[in-house]
Amino acid sequence: MDTRLFAADLLDMLPELTLFIAIIIISLLDLFWPKNASKKGIGVLTLIALIVSAGFLIYQRIHLDGVISLLNDSYLVYHYGILFKLIVLLGVSLIVMMSFGAIRDKDIPHIGEYYVLLMPAALGAMIMASSADIITLFIGLELLSISSYILVALRKHHTKSNEAAFKYIVLGSIASAFILYGMSFLYGMGGSTNLFQIGATLQSLESSFHPMIYVSFFLLLVGFGFKLAAAPFHTWAPEVYSAAPTPVVSFLAVISKAAMLIFMFMFLPVYFVPLDPVQNLTIYSDVVLTLHVVAAISMIVGNIVALMQKNVKRLLAFSSIANAGYFLVVLSTDRPGELVYYLVAYLLMTIGIFAVVTALENSAEHQDISIFSGLYFTAPVTAVMTVILLLSLAGIPLTMGFLGKFFILLGVIQVKTYWLAAIMIVSSVISFYYYFRIIRLMFMRSHSEHTTIKVPVTTMIVIAICVVATIFFAFFPQYMLSFIEWT
Amino acid sequence: MDFTISTYAWIIPLFPFVSFLILLVLGRQMKGIASTISIFAMLLATVSALLLLGETLKNEAQSYTSSVFNWLDIGDFSISFGYEVNNVNVLMLVIVTVVSLLVNVFSKGYMADDERMTVFYSYISLFTFSMLMLVISDNILQLYIFWELVGLCSFLLIGFWYQKKEAKAAAKKAFIVTRIGDIGLFIAVILLFWYMPEHMLSFTAIHNAFETNAHGFSDGMVTLVALLIFVGAVGKSGQFPLHTWLPDAMEGPTPISALIHAATMVAAGVFLVAKTYDIFLASETALLIVGTVGAFTALFAALIAIAQNDIKRILAYSTVSQLGYMMLALGLGTMAAYSAAMLHLFTHAFFKALLFLGAGSIIYALHHEQNILKMGGIGKSMKVTTWTFAIGTLALAGIFPLSGFWSKDAILAQAYEHQPVFFAAALIGVFLTAFYMSRLFFLVFTGDNRSGHTPKESPWVMTLPLIILAVLAVCAGWVAIPGIGTFNEWLVGETMEEKIHWSILIISNVVALLGIGLGYKMFRNKTASSLHEQSGNGLQTVLARKFYIDELYDLIVVKPVRGLGAFLQLWDEFIVGGLVKGSITTTRQIGKMGMRLQSGQMQVYALISVIGMLILLLIFAGRRLI
Repeated sequence: MDTRLFAADLLDMLPELTLFIAIIIISLLDLFWPKNASKKGIGVLTLIALIVSAGFLIYQRIHLDGVISLLNDSYLVYHYGILFKLIVLLGVSLIVMMSFGAIRDKDIPHIGEYYVLLMPAALGAMIMASSADIITLFIGLELLSISSYILVALRKHHTKSNEAAFKYIVLGSIASAFILYGMSFLYGMGGSTNLFQIGATLQSLESSFHPMIYVSFFLLLVGFGFKLAAAPFHTWAPEVYSAAPTPVVSFLAVISKAAMLIFMFMFLPVYFVPLDPVQNLTIYSDVVLTLHVVAAISMIVGNIVALMQKNVKRLLAFSSIANAGYFLVVLSTDRPGELVYYLVAYLLMTIGIFAVVTALENSAEHQDISIFSGLYFTAPVTAVMTVILLLSLAGIPLTMGFLGKFFILLGVIQVKTYWLAAIMIVSSVISFYYYFRIIRLMFMRSHSEHTTIKVPVTTMIVIAICVVATIFFAFFPQYMLSFIEWT
Repeated sequence: MDFTISTYAWIIPLFPFVSFLILLVLGRQMKGIASTISIFAMLLATVSALLLLGETLKNEAQSYTSSVFNWLDIGDFSISFGYEVNNVNVLMLVIVTVVSLLVNVFSKGYMADDERMTVFYSYISLFTFSMLMLVISDNILQLYIFWELVGLCSFLLIGFWYQKKEAKAAAKKAFIVTRIGDIGLFIAVILLFWYMPEHMLSFTAIHNAFETNAHGFSDGMVTLVALLIFVGAVGKSGQFPLHTWLPDAMEGPTPISALIHAATMVAAGVFLVAKTYDIFLASETALLIVGTVGAFTALFAALIAIAQNDIKRILAYSTVSQLGYMMLALGLGTMAAYSAAMLHLFTHAFFKALLFLGAGSIIYALHHEQNILKMGGIGKSMKVTTWTFAIGTLALAGIFPLSGFWSKDAILAQAYEHQPVFFAAALIGVFLTAFYMSRLFFLVFTGDNRSGHTPKESPWVMTLPLIILAVLAVCAGWVAIPGIGTFNEWLVGETMEEKIHWSILIISNVVALLGIGLGYKMFRNKTASSLHEQSGNGLQTVLARKFYIDELYDLIVVKPVRGLGAFLQLWDEFIVGGLVKGSITTTRQIGKMGMRLQSGQMQVYALISVIGMLILLLIFAGRRLI
């Protein structure tokens, strides 16, 4: 095994290097940016950097042959890693586009920094997606986390936002500490920072080590559950979601979640530790059961508490907690293809709906759910698109959201975990109620406020992309599924 | 292959869909042209459906199935998007297009004053598209998708007058209650998917697998799947105990009640059971439950209808009751009963649409008065409405030789042969049906005008559909005059030995006439004051003696029956409603608990996470280690 890095190997790291160089150049540019000029230029440059990086990824994907491993598995180029990175870049690009119309100078004084910070956050997520080494995984995680702490705190003159940012930093650090603690157990027992080697060593350990293996998993679970916003580790989410700038919220809801999923995707195989060879029992089966319970709690708590919410962003926070539950379910059934499909579905509908929210809250200057009132009469096209996004979130047929949940359910029923399927179905029925409350507001209430709603062009494009893709890949899931499975 | 219309059947749903798209683009402009577009599209669809019917009547070929494209290919299985043309589907296509066309025409008059007419027509077009797609789906997953879509349209249309609080509440209720049923269907789809050989979900595959017993299901699983499908049907077709949304749905515009909540969508449940009938045939238990629920609903809803005063609610309960008849027939488990159920679906669609549109015509003339106690004497001024309504009433009561007679008689005859208990229930139902309909008819059309309005006959766009539907309500049943058996043969594809039960023919007519007679005796020519007395003023002895017989009837028959009706309604409100409320309260409590955890204090948040972890650790790791 070669632990040295050669110049030729840098070619394999082009997607990350592109972003890295872009961060340096664009942040320097931001310093010398003319005072009077619009900072949107920085956003455009950021977008270009993201797209170039995605271009390299697609090139890598086309020419991918097996797995490329550098530096003792601390940098991996492999099938699902590339897919995850593409999803991250797609999400961040949409968020950048949404921000053009949504972020106003009076909310965030330093817009240039806002755009620049999105890149290290994306880079962190990408590092996590291309690593099987706990050190690099943790570095990627921290790069993502620290960038997002700052992003949450960008609304400097907003007291609530500052309070939420403070809580997010403290609780996030606690979560990171738990993860680090869990990792130290793994390192102590496995004698390596490489996850494959740790997995191999753990299997041969005698049973007196088993308690520590369990402890390591539950410590990791706290940090993982926190960043994923799965109940009972979700408590920060509603507050942070309602106080942070909306594009940042969609970043937390989509990119952070995606990164944590790839994180767990890497860690879970470590726990294939045999407990009882006769019954074919492994620690992994307990891990799966725990994930199922956490998923069930998340779905129940998320969907039920969402019923009580009057603030749109808090409502969507609980909806994202419920979605964390769906993700945990599909993660535990070990079907990466379905995970990717639902992740894309979730990305599109969540970013789409947040894009709508940015336009509405900027017009109304508040976040009450009543911002949707009579939308059909003031902005019919936006309203119809919002309906499609909400139907997808609710899992109504002919949307990606439906197919995604359908795949998850098929997986759950295949492993015969009927109780979880039941909870998933019942809780998603509950979710209809609050999604339809929004639809009812749009169609069945005449607008109380006679403000005209202006949806900026870029925001409209983001919404349209999300809606069209949501419907297109529901009618032709084949295109996406074959791309996911394509080898 | 020769040119056949069957191969182009997929075009039929596209007409309303195109109309929907055009209307969507139009937005709220061009009110005048909206109805024309929609009516024209429906006309094309209806003509195509009738041509298709003509072809299937000539052709010996039983069915035509085609996959338009492969929707999902995962691993070794695939689900396609396709359509199927067989006689049952064609029958439904004809019902849906004809009723939808007539409702479209009727709405031009009824909704003329409404500002959002374009929106109304776009919803109706979308609904008709979804319903037609549901009907020609070739696999159960595709059916499920359009099943949801018609539910969504129904939700939008019930809440069309969103300014009314009741309408909004009713829309919500309809959506949530039918969802409960939909979940059953959805689980059934998933179970079918896993257990069917090669994951086939097409109706043909289901038919073949269950007919030849070549399926991978255990007996218990067959029953479970059948019952789950039935749960879906119960929700959509308003069977007990999920019927509560249907009467409330009457808050929607009346043409909608006629189209969606009488003729087409609510019949989708019956259609679904019919489409998957082979699964039901494989399970005795499931059949018995279907029949029992049907019989119970038929009686129960008819009783409640007697105690109602709102003209649309009476008709709504009547719909629930008639759908119960269809389920009862399906529960008998013979092919003859199956075709009787489909025949009743066919005739019921026409006469019930007729009654609803007639009610719409009355409500329109009386400026949205719906209470039958406040109507009366309409017969003098609204001749067309009165006569057509009378035909609808007689057809529903099952009087010879109107359409309802033949279909109801077919069900009665089958019930008599196979399940005497169901027969008894159905026969009592016939009496009750005749009674509540004659009560409705005589209170509305005879006696004094108690409305305070001078009713005027509706414009021709509204009366023309009434006349056409009246003709259909008379004739539709003649396709299945017992002994000739053309309908059965056509529908099921095999000749059936049929006995003609003359006694049942006569008994059912006598019973229905008794019901009408009682209604006539009690409610004919009511004046405002006589209605008042009947509700309890016993002082005027002269009048009391005059109505001596009435009161006797009242005491012996009507009071207990009405009391039972009222009781059942209370049951509906408090027990069924209470259960619903209870589950809502529980949900709310959990929600409040969740909210309370959201205290805003960071220490609490961290503590919740740590405690959560410790509990999980103790439960899952602890049980292995201790």
